[in-house]
Amino acid sequence: MHREIVVPRSVLMSVESPGRYVGGEINQIIREDIVRELREKGGCSAVRTAFCFPDVYEIGMSNLALQILYKVLNSEEWTSCERAFAPWPDMDKLMREKDIPLYSMETRSPLYEFDVVAFTLGYEMCFTNVLQMLDLGKIPFLSRDRKDDDPIVVCGGPVAYNIEPMADYFDAAFMGEGEEVDLEFTRLIKEYKDNGKKDRQALLRRIAKIEGMYVPSLYEPQYENGRFKRFIRKYDDVPEKIRKRIITDLDNVIFPTAPVVPNNSVVHDRAYLEIFRGCIRGCRFCQAGYITRPVREKSADVLIDQGRCIERSTGYDELGMLSLSTSDYTGLSKLTDGLLEAFEDRHTSLSLPSLRIDNFALELMDKVSRTRKTGLTFAPEAGTQRLRDVINKGICEDDIMSALKLAFDGGWSTVKLYFMLGLPTETDEDVEGIADLALKIEDLYYQCARERGEKPRRPEITVSTSMFIPKPFTAFQWEGQNTAEDFLRKQALLKSKVKKSRNIRYIWHDVETSCFEGILARGDRRLCPAMLDGYKAGMIFDAWDDNFDYEKWMQILDKHGITWEMFAGAIDPSEELPWDHIDVGVTRSFFLKERENAYKETVTPNCREKCAGCGAACFKTGVCFEKR
Amino acid sequence: MRNDNVEMHKKEHLPQFILRTRFTRRGPLSFIGHLDLMKVIERAVRRADLPILHTQGYNPRPVMVFALPLGVGIDTTGDYVDVAMSVPMEADEFLDRIRPQLPQGLEFISARQIGEPKDSIMSIVSAAAYSLEAPGITQKILDLFSLEKVETQKKSKGKIKTVDIRPLMIKPLTTSTPDRADIMVYAGSEKNLRPDVLLAALCEQTGYGKDKADECIVTRTALYGGTYPDIKELSELEIKYKENNI
Repeated sequence: MHREIVVPRSVLMSVESPGRYVGGEINQIIREDIVRELREKGGCSAVRTAFCFPDVYEIGMSNLALQILYKVLNSEEWTSCERAFAPWPDMDKLMREKDIPLYSMETRSPLYEFDVVAFTLGYEMCFTNVLQMLDLGKIPFLSRDRKDDDPIVVCGGPVAYNIEPMADYFDAAFMGEGEEVDLEFTRLIKEYKDNGKKDRQALLRRIAKIEGMYVPSLYEPQYENGRFKRFIRKYDDVPEKIRKRIITDLDNVIFPTAPVVPNNSVVHDRAYLEIFRGCIRGCRFCQAGYITRPVREKSADVLIDQGRCIERSTGYDELGMLSLSTSDYTGLSKLTDGLLEAFEDRHTSLSLPSLRIDNFALELMDKVSRTRKTGLTFAPEAGTQRLRDVINKGICEDDIMSALKLAFDGGWSTVKLYFMLGLPTETDEDVEGIADLALKIEDLYYQCARERGEKPRRPEITVSTSMFIPKPFTAFQWEGQNTAEDFLRKQALLKSKVKKSRNIRYIWHDVETSCFEGILARGDRRLCPAMLDGYKAGMIFDAWDDNFDYEKWMQILDKHGITWEMFAGAIDPSEELPWDHIDVGVTRSFFLKERENAYKETVTPNCREKCAGCGAACFKTGVCFEKR
Repeated sequence: MRNDNVEMHKKEHLPQFILRTRFTRRGPLSFIGHLDLMKVIERAVRRADLPILHTQGYNPRPVMVFALPLGVGIDTTGDYVDVAMSVPMEADEFLDRIRPQLPQGLEFISARQIGEPKDSIMSIVSAAAYSLEAPGITQKILDLFSLEKVETQKKSKGKIKTVDIRPLMIKPLTTSTPDRADIMVYAGSEKNLRPDVLLAALCEQTGYGKDKADECIVTRTALYGGTYPDIKELSELEIKYKENNI
């Protein structure tokens, strides 16, 4: 029977930002047809999906996948989609005390009422929030414990490519882009529902036959001497390899031109245009770059049209261009000119993240933004040219220096530099190279001012380091991660070197969070029980430093016989990997070749310069078929 | 920051065509803060593509002035916002265009053209009326008004201090039903009593249950200008203009 959850006013009034829990936003889709059926009959014939974001509302509402799939799954009468978010610990506590189940924003239905409960996973640190949401939604944790009429629990997003650490809790996972496969899957669920929800096991086997869908329970892992050995398929009709799905024609795929606009402030208070998918660059550490290949662009005309619609339908005064590298969009000039024309007199600004700084970019930034610039951002990732060649970061010191000269002469004085510590083959010389580069930039700043004959204000140079985490589906998927001690020592070394200048500020990411993420990123199914134990011990919102408890996590892992070396240590390339049965297009042999190239410090040209034969051409679209 | 050699924008005075708008809010929209409510209205104005006046300078913002901030969780039937247009606009046209763009729970019930008055709407508010709906609250409110001193703890700049809020309480208005009391209190930039502070004091001083107070529906029903007892509801207040005004 349908139940509408009413949250007492006293609960809302005693939590932080109650606006997160009430919905009622512009462009929210409330399916009146379904509401009526639910009220009259207690149920409905359409497939109901709860799209769950395993983090707080403000983060989730900045997620484009949510907005896209919300529209896709509400695009036809027989399917509907509502949103749910992880309640912050203050709300979590009250919901347990008052026995309020986790509910959807639109119809306030408890999660257990839905046919499908779908999670989008953007980072490993949200795993315990998945368990929190299942628990509060009154859905059995384990896939194998769920009955025929329990919701089908699925996931997608970048982290779903290695879902093994959470495999026991998902009935199925989507590999790749969801716009098409989501509807294929939902159609199957419609059939299951029409037939009275009988025989869940048979349904799971059918799901496994949809291209791009992975049903973990149909693959039995084997281990040998404490290492993952292989997967054994439970049935012959279960595919050996699961190939990711992609959208071939981005111009004609559904896109939310009227996204939901939150009433309370979210992380990024702006609308988004997705300008292309994939990345031509091939940075060897970057999972996002590899798993989204091949590069496929949307045409500037379509984007200008969509941009105009979005700006009008949301009322946002800022439109962000979304991609892995804005500068690599071939129609950038046309696009920005077109949008600026569309927004004339509307005081709307464009945000162009991850621009490669050159003359064109500086002019562009002047043109598109109505606000004062806060600073320039560079991501050299490594301090020496040798190490930049190892990671295939196609950027050299001369590029950085000539770009900065332009910027300094153009009046900029704030520069942010992003680096990674613990990259493969890194030596202390490379770490010190980070400081050297920052100091050279400081010199350049004063030199430029002298040449202009100006008395300069002090520059602000920020050096930020994160920790390298080896990820599946990268050239570095076999590498060992640095230990916490290594990282701390390198941070201290760098700190001592940048102290020389009072114009340089050094900020660093939390080491412990990165070490834990390193374990999860390449973990296998043996982590599953530990994740649930962690959750039961009160671990949620691990992605938030204030909530994250490394010591406690290490105790829990220890109890389950899991060591840091098991998953964060180096892997011999002769071993089978727990994600080898997932096919992202880019082949294992290409990753191995790139690994060799890294050791040889050999740079691989980007996709537009020369095809490196990564394997993504199997999708028969995009940059692989562009004229070079 | 960029060292722009741009001449600082001289703030030339642009003509403002203000629409004094009365609005109500309830439901989900009551659970957002004042700054978020401002953004919600800004975006509605943008969706309606109204010729709203923008501030000058690097970060132009639409010119909108609220009579009094609305706290989280407070409904209203009697609040005002002054929306400044860059060209004259009929109140009806304004309402017709913006109404379809407002989110659920926010309504613009009326508007009138007032040109460009001498005082900002913010500066003329001196009192507000609230209705408090909760089981058996009326008698306790009357008890509170009968006290000479109503001391309560108030957090201010990180310190907790004891304040007497009785001088901020003006009078009970309607108290004929046991579960709903209407009261008038000082409000605005000079003297202001927030309803949550009043409810906390109610629990402390009269033993009214905190659980009931937590469920209390608080609605702002009117805003007044003038000096008590000589006060008038904002819509009835005569609007003063600068002498050289057209």
